[in-house]
Amino acid sequence: MTEHHDDPLALEADLPSSLMTVNLGPSHPAMHGTVRLVVTLDGETIVDAVPEIGFLHRGFTKSSEASTWHQVLPYTDRLNYVSPILNNVGYIMGVEKLIGIECTERAKYLRVLGGEISRICDHLTCISAIGLELGAFTVFLYGVEARELLWDRIAEWTGARVTTSWTRVGGVATDLPPGFVERLRECLPRVMELTHEIDVLLSRNRIFYDRTRGIGVIDGDEALDWGFTGPCLRACGVNYDVRKAHPYLVYDRMDFEVPLGERGDTYDRYILRLREIEQSHRMILQVLDQIPPGPIIIDDWRYALPPKKDVFGSIEGVMAHFKLIMEGMMVPAGEVYVYTEGANGELGFHIVSNGTGKPYTVQVRGPGFPILSALPRLIKGHAVADIIPIFDSINMIGGEVEQ
Amino acid sequence: MAQALVDLLRDNFKEAVLSSHSHRGDEVAVVRRESVQEICRFLKDGEARMQLLRYIACVDLLTYDTEMTGGGALASNEVPAYDLAKKAPREPRFQLGYNVYSVVRKQSVRLRVELRSDDVKVPTVTSVWRTADWWERYLFDMFGIDFIGHPNLKRILMYPEFQGHPLRKDYPTRKRQPLVAELEFPDLIRGPGPGPGGAGVPMSQTHVGRKNVDPTTYD
Repeated sequence: MTEHHDDPLALEADLPSSLMTVNLGPSHPAMHGTVRLVVTLDGETIVDAVPEIGFLHRGFTKSSEASTWHQVLPYTDRLNYVSPILNNVGYIMGVEKLIGIECTERAKYLRVLGGEISRICDHLTCISAIGLELGAFTVFLYGVEARELLWDRIAEWTGARVTTSWTRVGGVATDLPPGFVERLRECLPRVMELTHEIDVLLSRNRIFYDRTRGIGVIDGDEALDWGFTGPCLRACGVNYDVRKAHPYLVYDRMDFEVPLGERGDTYDRYILRLREIEQSHRMILQVLDQIPPGPIIIDDWRYALPPKKDVFGSIEGVMAHFKLIMEGMMVPAGEVYVYTEGANGELGFHIVSNGTGKPYTVQVRGPGFPILSALPRLIKGHAVADIIPIFDSINMIGGEVEQ
Repeated sequence: MAQALVDLLRDNFKEAVLSSHSHRGDEVAVVRRESVQEICRFLKDGEARMQLLRYIACVDLLTYDTEMTGGGALASNEVPAYDLAKKAPREPRFQLGYNVYSVVRKQSVRLRVELRSDDVKVPTVTSVWRTADWWERYLFDMFGIDFIGHPNLKRILMYPEFQGHPLRKDYPTRKRQPLVAELEFPDLIRGPGPGPGGAGVPMSQTHVGRKNVDPTTYD
């Protein structure tokens, strides 16, 4: 004993330890959804990690192949269940690309409006969850209050909080209800106030800062190599936002910035989402100012359901309705890959048609899938407690990753 | 713009690029499967700077010409036996589509590789893009495509005992899988204690929780 005390180096010597395997999940409150992480530990340090997915696999592609083009819509709601409208828009834009049509002017604005509201909801969920799991329960309550305000608006607009199924080929299903714009203008300041509260509670909080700054760092080239897109890629300073790089709908008419991070760590991924909420808020206000009156869906009965007046009042209307419901619309044969900016990155749909009333195949590139595959790379070398903030900040959504 | 990219490919790989076309703005180059790795490497490191592999898609063309629409076809997408008997399955049956993108040049291109049903092998591109690792595992799981040289070609969404490849068109939608026998207690991962994890071999690198290991052989 005494010689150990005499030798100061003995205190610093490596303790011989064997590797230990710890199983996180699949059912753990911090493993959002159901993902399992098999972590190999050397003391507190992570030496290896293997994510296991598939617990939420529902057979999205297989189900889609047995449905008509519009019957796929409810499945897309369930891909990213926090921002379903973004998924609806992404899928339906793929079908429109295959057909070669565009939706009406007003529908374009409505899709941007719904999409940006959903994006705020998604980012709020991510930020609140980081706060919650690092011990800041207040932040979670603020975030959920703000999110509920927006989901209430979406519910009165589309009829459902999260299972919206709200887009249609050539347009959207429902127009803004009476008084909607006023109510939205009323609740937006409260949403931004709550977001600001979260900002001042977390961003300069010593504990939060120390637990996220410099944790899970990845640089831009490596992030691209791993297939990162969205906030996680922009946190590394790579300027790639589909809305700016390849503007679709009316994003070219919107005045907004793409916030960029510098270090690519957990803190950057968090702060970037806060900044993006502000940009989405700007866009919502611009849409409300610019939105033109007019039809919300095209007047082409080969693709869009005829109005009820025509279905009940004319033989052409009945026939078009019958054909669309029983056979589905005939989409010309072809193969497209369509990409939009989802809440967590590039949401891609690879759609193939053989010219019939149902899709030959619909495959989805969930933005979380490649990002989750890089999770071992992000957490290796850190402590067990760092898994939680890193895993939260990539905002993996089980629905889209596991299809 | 993107047309220039296909021309660039044609100039550099005269034999490997079989054909090219454009559909609804998507540029597609059909390439020989033996040179897919080489072409991907060229696209990523060369002037094209295709740093982002967006997605690898796979299309099973088995019923492309026979699949019906409307009426009874809506109830299920199972392949009617008489259809297959009447018409020979389409060959090459599988089409792989590598959707790649350059953040710098803002261009994208799709490489298509065609595979015959009796030889579903293709070289892996995991050495080019690391993200290909999981996409290729996904395609192996769903379509049974064999990626030669992949470091860890295992099922990703399905469990190891799953039989067949669910996204092949001849896999019936309503097919049931046999039950998997319950694992014995010592096979479960229980953290510390005796087991492969304690013997210097990290358990996560072995086939976790699936092998029937005799508990008496533990260190």
